[in-house]
Amino acid sequence: MTDELTNLSFRTLFDATVEAKLLVDAAGRIVLANPAAQLLFGYNEDEICEVMVEMLIPARYREKHRRYRALFLDNPKKRTMGDGKALAALCRDGKEILLDINLSPIKTQGQFYVLAGFNVTDQRLKAEEALLASEERLRLAKQAAGLGIFDCDCKNKIIYWDEKMRELWGSSNETMSYKEFLATIHPQDRAARQVAFESAIDTTGHEGFKAEYRIINPANGVERWRWISSIGQVHFKDGRADRLVGVVRDVTEQKNLQKKLQAQRNETENLFKQQVAVRTASAIAHELNQPLTAISAYSEVALHALHQEAFNTDNLKKALEGCVEQAQRAGRSIHELLAFLQKSETETEQLNLNDLIQEALGIARNDGFGGFHQVLSLQENLPAAQGNRLQVQKVLVNLFRNAVEAMRIANVPTSKISVSVQTLAETNMALVVVQDNGSGLDKDMVKYIFDPFFTTKPSGIGMGLSISRALIEANGGQLWLDPDSKAGAKFHFTLPLAL
Amino acid sequence: MRNPEPVVFIVDDEPAVRDSLTLMIEQAGISVQSFESAQAFLNAYGSDFFGCIILDVQMPEMSGMQLQEELLQRKILLPIIFLTGHGDIPMSVRAIKTGAVDFLTKPVTREKLLTCVRFAFAEAEKRVDEAAHKQNAVACLKKLTQREREVMSLAVQGRSNKEIAACLDISHRTVEIHKSNIMRKTNSINLLDLVRITQESDLGK
Repeated sequence: MTDELTNLSFRTLFDATVEAKLLVDAAGRIVLANPAAQLLFGYNEDEICEVMVEMLIPARYREKHRRYRALFLDNPKKRTMGDGKALAALCRDGKEILLDINLSPIKTQGQFYVLAGFNVTDQRLKAEEALLASEERLRLAKQAAGLGIFDCDCKNKIIYWDEKMRELWGSSNETMSYKEFLATIHPQDRAARQVAFESAIDTTGHEGFKAEYRIINPANGVERWRWISSIGQVHFKDGRADRLVGVVRDVTEQKNLQKKLQAQRNETENLFKQQVAVRTASAIAHELNQPLTAISAYSEVALHALHQEAFNTDNLKKALEGCVEQAQRAGRSIHELLAFLQKSETETEQLNLNDLIQEALGIARNDGFGGFHQVLSLQENLPAAQGNRLQVQKVLVNLFRNAVEAMRIANVPTSKISVSVQTLAETNMALVVVQDNGSGLDKDMVKYIFDPFFTTKPSGIGMGLSISRALIEANGGQLWLDPDSKAGAKFHFTLPLAL
Repeated sequence: MRNPEPVVFIVDDEPAVRDSLTLMIEQAGISVQSFESAQAFLNAYGSDFFGCIILDVQMPEMSGMQLQEELLQRKILLPIIFLTGHGDIPMSVRAIKTGAVDFLTKPVTREKLLTCVRFAFAEAEKRVDEAAHKQNAVACLKKLTQREREVMSLAVQGRSNKEIAACLDISHRTVEIHKSNIMRKTNSINLLDLVRITQESDLGK
């Protein structure tokens, strides 16, 4: 056993070692490399033997290594290289790896060798590399998505932001105070953003932060509004909002495109509505024109007969009978036409007005009539109203659109729409009140606003309120304007409660 | 030849309109015949129809415009007053260009309609007279020989006898004889009269 061990060759042991090992001669030439070393550096035996050990050192350290090698020869003893620090080695594929290296001098028959052992310290490196890679990935993903990142310290009211976000805001400051931040937001969007922020930091609910607002970018001295979409999450600590962390994205292009599409849609819809109005009007005109022609002619016959000294009583009688008959016929035509136009029976269902109002606000915003701050006084446990969902929704959307248009015309800095719902016990009705903070309605106009074809808008056809009133009445309610409203226009409508 | 008493022919699919307009026009002492469709009018039409047509534009089957075209094709000269529910300008321009007297919008006043009818009657008179003259002129020119027609066409262009003789390679005297025959056959008093006849016959154009 012992003999066997004694006879075990150096080469066998050397090759069996798991640790990568090189045997280097006094001149610095590699004499032997075990398979682990070959694998580590990526060379086969023929390639690695007989070459200078500096081949495995990155070029920038080679000169230094030669000097250290000379120093080692002067004082050869077992030690580690680089005082315990990991050292860089160069692999065949050009990749650098960090290694812990130990050196053992070996003397045989006048020959001097150094046995070098290599321990991969890559674990540490790998973790670092993984972190770097993960950061790089995040950076690339952010870049691809055009995302900026912010971290808002809710207590100290300081915002930390990344490079992309600073670029969007056109600022080079590392941080920004919350106050400074608010100043960059478009005045019309401040209220809505603030509401989103407050509901996000509210400890009772746990909604994420989500807001869209415009910011001013003073870069290049040129002011331009950018649309920003922001999503974030509030982190709570000790029952209080501690940080709001999230991302921002420039959605200006999207918004502009949306606006353009919406404008086109509105135009098409207007055109369509106009066509409907024209068609309806010409149908009515045609139905009325024939009897009117006859009535006009009969009346003139009668009138002319009366002017004549000896008038023909038969003709007079015939003419007046014709008048009556044709007037009756005209009335019938109109009733028939209306019955035809309203032939679809209104289907009603139980309506939750609270939900319906929220939906209609969403539709108005989506239709390009957003940018307002909403103040809702909804009634909890509101009994259901009875009506046609689409029709009531149409009326609400129409009222909201009118409000937004009125406020835009009045150039109100902070557009606000207030909607309230209540039940009127004595009449068993639900009452909805919609009020804007525009400049309100002229006293002279109030008389006409519900008339068909009355409009103050350049592209309007003046059917909105007239149709809205008809729809509410068809649902058993009433729609009217509060003539005494001091601030903005205030519309009321009622709907019967479901039995 | 005296023209017969003019009549208003109403073509409208609407009974009340026909009835009331008939009363109105008859009250003014004018005879009326009414038809419920364009086809009914065409079926009843006779060459002795004289006066004007009050024609509704919008009628089922054959519209007023289509009837106007049909009448032009058949060389029926009755002037047309169009009645329409709503005044469509391009349509009215086209109708007037193709010979309509007027384009009235319903409901129409008595005054306007009667003024129009009277104007249309005068127009009818004119058209019939023109047609009679033309017929007469064509009949006259038919009596001429081929040579006489050649002489006449040069004469009405204002050529002298000498020029005509040179042009047709005949003697001055022969031209004189032809011309005298032409004047006699067409009952023309002078050259101007002859020019009028050739124009009326459409041959001089």
